Amino acid sequence: MITESTVKTLLSNGGYIADEAIATAVFLALQMEKPILIEGPPGVGKTGLAKTLSEVLDFPLVRLQCYEGIDEGKALYDWEYGKQLLYTQLLRTQLDTYLSVTSDLREAVERLSAEESLFFSRNFLVQRPILRSFLSEKRSLLLIDEIDRSGDEFEALLLECLSDFQVSVPELGVIPALQKPLTILTSNGTRMISDALRRRCLYLYIGYPDLEREVTIVRARYPDLCEILARKMVEFLRAVRELNLRKPPSVSETLDWANVLTILHATALTPEIVASTVGVIAKHQADLQQVNDLAAQMLA
Amino acid sequence: MERVITRFVKALRERGVRVSPGESMDAVHAVSLCGLSKRETVRSILRLTLVKNANEIPVFEEEFERFFTTSSSNVQMHQDFGDLINSLIHVVEGSLFKSNVESFQDPDDEKINILVDEEVTEEDLENLLDMGEDNGDEEGPEIQVQLNRNPGKMEAPSPSEYRMENVPSVAFYQGYNNSKNLAFTPEELVDMQEVVGRMLVRIRKDIKRMKEKESRGKLHVVRTLQKNYRHGMIPFLLALRRKRMEKPRLVVFCDVSFSVSHATRFMLLLLHTLQNRVVDVRSFVFNRDVVEITDRLRNLPVNCLLETIDRGDIVNLDDNSDYGNVFLTFKREHLESMRGKPAIIIMGDGRNNYNEDNEWALEEIREKAGYMLWLSPEDRETWYRGDCLMELYGSYCDRVEVVKNVDELSKVVEELFYTLYDHNDTRTWKNRIKPAREEKNYDPASYYIRPGSDAKPAFDPEVRRSW
Repeated sequence: MITESTVKTLLSNGGYIADEAIATAVFLALQMEKPILIEGPPGVGKTGLAKTLSEVLDFPLVRLQCYEGIDEGKALYDWEYGKQLLYTQLLRTQLDTYLSVTSDLREAVERLSAEESLFFSRNFLVQRPILRSFLSEKRSLLLIDEIDRSGDEFEALLLECLSDFQVSVPELGVIPALQKPLTILTSNGTRMISDALRRRCLYLYIGYPDLEREVTIVRARYPDLCEILARKMVEFLRAVRELNLRKPPSVSETLDWANVLTILHATALTPEIVASTVGVIAKHQADLQQVNDLAAQMLA
Repeated sequence: MERVITRFVKALRERGVRVSPGESMDAVHAVSLCGLSKRETVRSILRLTLVKNANEIPVFEEEFERFFTTSSSNVQMHQDFGDLINSLIHVVEGSLFKSNVESFQDPDDEKINILVDEEVTEEDLENLLDMGEDNGDEEGPEIQVQLNRNPGKMEAPSPSEYRMENVPSVAFYQGYNNSKNLAFTPEELVDMQEVVGRMLVRIRKDIKRMKEKESRGKLHVVRTLQKNYRHGMIPFLLALRRKRMEKPRLVVFCDVSFSVSHATRFMLLLLHTLQNRVVDVRSFVFNRDVVEITDRLRNLPVNCLLETIDRGDIVNLDDNSDYGNVFLTFKREHLESMRGKPAIIIMGDGRNNYNEDNEWALEEIREKAGYMLWLSPEDRETWYRGDCLMELYGSYCDRVEVVKNVDELSKVVEELFYTLYDHNDTRTWKNRIKPAREEKNYDPASYYIRPGSDAKPAFDPEVRRSW
């Protein structure tokens, strides 16, 4: 039986340092079988949470990357036209023998129409990510990534899936989920998600972590980096975030930088080291100078 | 516990956070799963289930602190909170005062007893007693009690709770009166983003629909065959030729002279928030001279640009606006580089300071434009007074509108987009404009009356013809 504190331990075993809100969200999502909608700036570990969860809970990860113009054919299911055609071709020879028992045309049509559902059966249904996660034998983790990239129509499409965990296929009827997957939606907030979708989810906002948590994250991932340097580094990056850059460095940048510093065997943070590795932190030409200036000011 | 949460939800709603009944049920369910042992857990549970928008998190935190603070037993007490207020109101209303005070002291009445013990502080009781003595000053103590106990109710709602439309227009007027202080505050920028965002959502759906409609062209034979190869060339899936879509082009002139500057600033901000998404905008600012600022707007943050304009680095702000010169210069220097048939928006009051009007230049510009819209911040009544050439210039435009605040501005621009997308093909614009012109010839007096409104024509275009 999972409790809230075990979620935290589980996640930290998987290398993900969660705070109270994240652990509670995961726990509730598991208990209440509700999706979590995670918002936050890029690189704070929204997708990472899903990946780690799938590892530690041993739920197979089914990932749906959203993009503009995604539709049900890409997300839910599709009919396999090619296979259907192939079968028609193959069965054509069988047709004569099958219909030979009938005496007239009317009877033949009746006999055929009795088999009509044959071609719109699950045999010919291609499962796309959402349906696949619904029909998976084992409880799975459905990650709907960057939902804000998709359009309104796709959001509307998700409403049924997320509230009732079922997919309606007109030809087959309603297919309910065998195992309700643990569902995680992520959004970078480039577009407002509709209230209808928000209401169906638990809403989790992951911002930049506080100092202690970020240091713990760095230490957990790169234990070789000494505590003092890690702290110094995180403090510096937090100051950089205050700078109003075009792309402020996120947790993923922190980790990249920690990696770089480990590789370089850096022992102390100096303006020179920052200058030589600034490309890891700042991703815009206009930002580089600002970071360097700050380094000269803070670390001199 | 349900009641506590319901009350908390109610408090949140009063602060403008929208919480649906389903969400509060979720909250109750969630709390029952996790228990109430840890304050932080409860906080994150309620935040997870009740708040669905990052902007609302600060309000939630504040409300949570206020609601679940005083003491550990307060959770129970809040249930009786409304009763307390009610009884207090009764008290003030007069006659019941005595009996209430008696019941405060009555040990059998358990509910009131709790109130006396924990909810009502000594100070409040003193206030109550004061009230008994001095009935003339009814309002003071009672309101004070209410304020102490329920600040959320008494506070004026913070600006963020208003529908956003209100805020920019207020800002607009302030700026209009006080044009020394012109750069946008961060709030104004955010508000504008919101207005534009909402507008985009509205427009986008229709644009998409229109685009889909327009992109259905003739059958693309080759691609259809390719697509249906696996179906044995039976055309299950059709591929259609797409019409080449182009972004509508806009050319915007903004008067930055003192009289209209703030309005034009919002115009610039609006258009360039929209810039890369739906339209291709070229912007010019003018006073006596006209200068293109498209590139600067694209590369500089809006505020920086405004500062540059305010310093007079782009056009000299001490000059008086000279529309005739502006049109002439534009015709000479930029008209050749206008591609397609852009829609031209001119924003200004048309006050030419008795300079040469050069209406022929405007006429030539009009020839090159697909659509011409003039936005003036002045009322129609004042158009014929003084040096205003609105009536002259207006007769060249397809439409003249009075725009006084951001609401009206965004409405006009939105309508314009519909027009542009509806008739994206510039040739259809042309066709559409022709009948309008003929109509003008038949009945010039009705030209400035917008259909559906019964306003009197502001002026008679015949006047110009007789000169």
